[in-house]
Amino acid sequence: MTGAATDDMHRLILEIGMGNDLYGEDYTKAALRAVQDALHHSSLTLFRSLDLDHGLMQVRVTIGVERPEQVDCDAVAASLPRGQASVQAVAGGMNVVDADSGTTTVVASAAIEAFYPMDRVPWRVVETRAP
Amino acid sequence: MVVKKRVALELGQGTALRSGDYTRAAVRAVKDALWHNSLNMPQAFGATKEAMIIDVEIAVQQPAAVDTDEVAAVFPYGSVSVTARKGGLDIPKPDGSGATLVALAAVVVSFMVEASA
Repeated sequence: MTGAATDDMHRLILEIGMGNDLYGEDYTKAALRAVQDALHHSSLTLFRSLDLDHGLMQVRVTIGVERPEQVDCDAVAASLPRGQASVQAVAGGMNVVDADSGTTTVVASAAIEAFYPMDRVPWRVVETRAP
Repeated sequence: MVVKKRVALELGQGTALRSGDYTRAAVRAVKDALWHNSLNMPQAFGATKEAMIIDVEIAVQQPAAVDTDEVAAVFPYGSVSVTARKGGLDIPKPDGSGATLVALAAVVVSFMVEASA
């Protein structure tokens, strides 16, 4: 942990993504793709605009797949670009079975929550309409 | 000093497969951008949702065909403005009967902020 966590951790965003492994039944690959999908639908631009410290951000990742024990959570954590990441896999997701061809498609959901100590933000919002 | 600062960018893509309706593609792109994320920044900053300034940019091949009021109506709160410009992607259908439309949406969320004492 870089920087002490405070009691004033607030969630900034929840990002949701979906990923699959069509033929390989690789739960980690599906999870990694779900994480990338979740990450790349948004950007936390306030880190740059308000000059905040990424090292103080806590990132909690939850992966839903049918075989959570098959997910390499360390590999998923290593794929996150910033913040102090923790990853857990839970029962969920969806496996789609094609009995005719004997193939199973693995679908993973990823939820990425970003938290920040708001007492370390030297800005306050002014409630006015846009100029 | 009160300044406008960007706090989040959300990106989405939407299509109109058969209708040829650029507004429909744009609305879907905005919903794709919004519904992949849940922003908690107003609560984190102790602000109201109405304090959010939402600047939406739509990119399609025929921007003049986008009803920006209809796109703005997707947003339940905030101070919303929508602009459309050329971009996106049109894919002509193989039988020559029009095109499949792809719209891109960028949703920029800002707050008016000032340095806290």
